[in-house]
Amino acid sequence: MTDLDDAPALVSLTLSFRPLANQIGPLRSLLSDLCKPHVADADGLSRLLLAAHELLENIVKYSVGDMAEFHLRLEAKATGLLIRLRTKNRAAPERMADARWRLDALAAAHDPIAHYDELIRESAGRRDVSGLGLARIPAESEMELFYATEQDWLILTAEGNASERVNG
Amino acid sequence: MSALQLSLTSVGGEGFQVTPTLTDFNLRLVFIGSGDMNATGVINEYLKLVHEEALRIGLAQVSCDFKLLTFMNSSCFKSFVVWIDTVKNSEVRYQIVFLTNPALPWQRRSLEALRRLAANLVTIETIA
Repeated sequence: MTDLDDAPALVSLTLSFRPLANQIGPLRSLLSDLCKPHVADADGLSRLLLAAHELLENIVKYSVGDMAEFHLRLEAKATGLLIRLRTKNRAAPERMADARWRLDALAAAHDPIAHYDELIRESAGRRDVSGLGLARIPAESEMELFYATEQDWLILTAEGNASERVNG
Repeated sequence: MSALQLSLTSVGGEGFQVTPTLTDFNLRLVFIGSGDMNATGVINEYLKLVHEEALRIGLAQVSCDFKLLTFMNSSCFKSFVVWIDTVKNSEVRYQIVFLTNPALPWQRRSLEALRRLAANLVTIETIA
């Protein structure tokens, strides 16, 4: 994971909130408005928003307790934009165990797209939860996904790159 | 009701709608809005009805027009996975075509994964 906190950000957003499903669409619109002036191409912005959406849905579906956190940081580097998304939420023990299992499998996979395809094939026969949301982030957003735990808090971090818009 | 009379109707909810039209043996489903948590149940049930209708009518093809579908979350995506898997394992199969909007890059990335699930059934086309 990259330490981003030592350089100025183009966008830095920190949100502490009680997550609700009907907040995700407006939050995605806000993130789009904040980041669009800095991201050079539609694909880069689309990847960022897809990852943000799946992380936000994850905390809406699985967090327990009143509060969760969402962070976005967009930073200009010599090689382009560095995107960092982070969520922090309390999770029930069974959800924490399931998330760790999924995230460890994701980290162990050499090819995130092949891993995603395998999860898709496995999920086809199940009629319960999708189980695809987090795996979608590295496969479709081309972002790395990390996790950490602090007691019953689950902290997810997605990092990736995009091309920076050059103005003028 | 004649065999070629469509029994499917438009469905939708807050910020999301699907509208079907039938031409000969081709069913076109136009998706409008955002396929997020509010749409998951609607899409899931609707795709089951689409498959029943496809078998009843003997459809050759179902086209999913995503030109105005701004986003699809992983739960809605999973509904398409289940649908495609159902068709794949059905004795009577039909082709599934996704019509995509090049201005919405997530569509190409997401739908390529569906095509890889059943390359002999699923095709992706771009619409202007």
